[in-house]
Amino acid sequence: MRIALAGNPNSGKTTLFNSITGKIEHVGNWPGVTVARKEGEIKSVYNPSGETVQVVDLPGAYSMSPYTSEESITRDFVIEENPDVIVNIVDATSLSRSLFFTTQLLEIGIPVVVALNKSDLKSKKKLSIDSGLLSEVLGCPVVEVAAIEADGLKELVTVSRESLGRKLKAPFAGYDPGTATEEEVRQSDKERFSFVENLVSRVEGRKVESRRQTRQDALDRVVAHKVLGIPVFALILYSVFSISQNSVGPLVADYLVGWIDAFYGFVQGLMGSGVHPLFSALLLDGIIGGVGAIVGFLPLIMVLFFLLALLEDSGYMARVAVVMDPYFKKVGLSGRSIIPMVISTGCAIPGIMATRTIRDERQRRTTALLTPFMPCGAKLPVIALFAGVFFADAAWVGTAMYFLAIAVVVVGALIIRKITGDTSKSNYFIMELPEYRLPSLKRAFVAMVSQGKAFVMKAVTIILVSNALVHVMQTFTWRFQVVGEGMAQESILASLAGPVSWLMIPLGFGMWQLAAAAITGFIAKENVVGTLAVVFGITNFIDTEELVLVAGESQVAGVMGLTAVAALAYLIFNLFTPPCFAAIGAMNAELKSKRWLLGAIGFQLGMGYTLAYLVYQAGTLITTGSFGSGVLGGLAGIGLFAGTIVYLVRLRENEDLEVLGGVA
Amino acid sequence: MEKTCSGGWFKGVKNRLAREAERPLNLTRARYNQPYEIQSIETLDSAMTDFLFTLGCYEGQEVTVLSSLGENYVIHVKDARYSIDRALAQAIRI
Repeated sequence: MRIALAGNPNSGKTTLFNSITGKIEHVGNWPGVTVARKEGEIKSVYNPSGETVQVVDLPGAYSMSPYTSEESITRDFVIEENPDVIVNIVDATSLSRSLFFTTQLLEIGIPVVVALNKSDLKSKKKLSIDSGLLSEVLGCPVVEVAAIEADGLKELVTVSRESLGRKLKAPFAGYDPGTATEEEVRQSDKERFSFVENLVSRVEGRKVESRRQTRQDALDRVVAHKVLGIPVFALILYSVFSISQNSVGPLVADYLVGWIDAFYGFVQGLMGSGVHPLFSALLLDGIIGGVGAIVGFLPLIMVLFFLLALLEDSGYMARVAVVMDPYFKKVGLSGRSIIPMVISTGCAIPGIMATRTIRDERQRRTTALLTPFMPCGAKLPVIALFAGVFFADAAWVGTAMYFLAIAVVVVGALIIRKITGDTSKSNYFIMELPEYRLPSLKRAFVAMVSQGKAFVMKAVTIILVSNALVHVMQTFTWRFQVVGEGMAQESILASLAGPVSWLMIPLGFGMWQLAAAAITGFIAKENVVGTLAVVFGITNFIDTEELVLVAGESQVAGVMGLTAVAALAYLIFNLFTPPCFAAIGAMNAELKSKRWLLGAIGFQLGMGYTLAYLVYQAGTLITTGSFGSGVLGGLAGIGLFAGTIVYLVRLRENEDLEVLGGVA
Repeated sequence: MEKTCSGGWFKGVKNRLAREAERPLNLTRARYNQPYEIQSIETLDSAMTDFLFTLGCYEGQEVTVLSSLGENYVIHVKDARYSIDRALAQAIRI
């Protein structure tokens, strides 16, 4: 049998889903976390019968008439896929809004069970609900649960199973969807609301009126303030990144790298001298070295995921959207665009998917195009590596990358608005403000472990294979002979990456090794670090004796042969060119237009190239008094990029003029 | 835009305050913490009007402005809090 979970946004559907299935889907204390349906099986603890019960978690919806695309998933699923039972999750603290949707669900004809969630908050709010009476009037079972505490779940599952095939009589008969006119629908929905209001007044006892101002509102006056909110947000972001990259992260990384080193030595000893040197080099330097270089950064990423999970759990994210809205509107985005971007600091793929909550198509696409500019978890090792090798672990490098990303997003949004024109007729903003709550360490821990696991899985699959290939391609020539001493340019890798490296001369890093690392970065951004480790033969970057992130800075920097300015340019190039293929795939799915996808990739390439060029040439001019190599060649490339943008803007302006001419 | 704009409103220099007083009352001018009855919703986007409806924000219902945070207004409708922008606050007539 199959049970669907439906209810208002932020009523706790995914929390309930995770509790009863044991899955670890992304949850957060703000509306619109879930944008696609998720399926799982009920754990045997809650389902003693042993019969398999499928549960489908759906995005939140306020009613059966969808406003944004993810809301329509819920309606389509419930109507078209005929689940056996609908569990309607109702936020016990806002009955008068939630029951509107409940009465609509009760009309479909599928048995409904109401799960009165957040029951644990009732006493805190001095709220009482007569669930017996509620059940009687609605004509369906009502079960009090607290998904967060895993309370009442067994009963909910039992009641849901018993509801299979039960006939129900809708307490409120609405319009006939086949024949009703718009006016009739409106009239009927008004009656539906008064029915709900009447019902709520009978079942609910409130001692404190919810419209009274609370301490939360006082907090909001600072945190969500138009002006004050910005430094607060900046400070919170800064703390998140500096804790993960400069203090706690490296501290834990230290132990891990010790183990990796020990493992390297262990394998080395195990193989002894009997193994062919080519094979042992592949295993040690290609696979263990390359993968180890990345896994060494795992603690940094896990700390970042932990802190992001705390942030999402607190209810602060909705406030960030409110703070950013007026500013983002000025560049043709909406406040909702910030949420995909914050999610993207973890991983761009869920970030790109989160753009579905943006209703305006142009804003949605622009956000999906710009979101991958945010440095994701996979880019973190790249940042940490370069900050360590070339900037003595300076804290500002990491933070600067995040703020540079925000600046790129703003400028990018302006350029795209120039190209596409502002097509949004109205640009209203509304965001439900969830209550703040103390973030749960346990939930953040669970999220962190699951993301960390995914990171390791990626490292031992895609990245392992990439590193092995890079190592083989570096070891052999096209005629499958081992590359001779001092003949590194003869290798397959060098001959493939060589032509690309020509394009990078104006950026300060025209070396085939660096070009190869940037290219493998499109498979997964961690590969940049892995490939560098392989091609330069560095086994690991993190020092185990001293508490510094990167060992032998001067030695590593010397091997790479880069100036600090060129290294910064290379870092920026890797961060701001198109994301990995998986994220490009997600962009393709969300943009739903080949033209937009091509434009997006072209724009990201142009942006990364231009930024790297500017940093390298301006930086070199400042530090040495003259421009770096290839200054004119690079200018030509950037001219091409800028020229294309100007051409597209002109094209659109002419179209506008024609439209105006046609009207006149 | 609004119908009231056409009737010679901008002829002559009128005191801004006087204009304010004659303009239909909307949420931007509501007193904090005082419940108002919604008279009408005048958005330029009918889908937004429908969406507000599903939140229980439509004519005849009660709305309270809890605070304004610069460009945004925190409103309370049917036991839930929302932040809306100025344009939307202007669209909700009370």
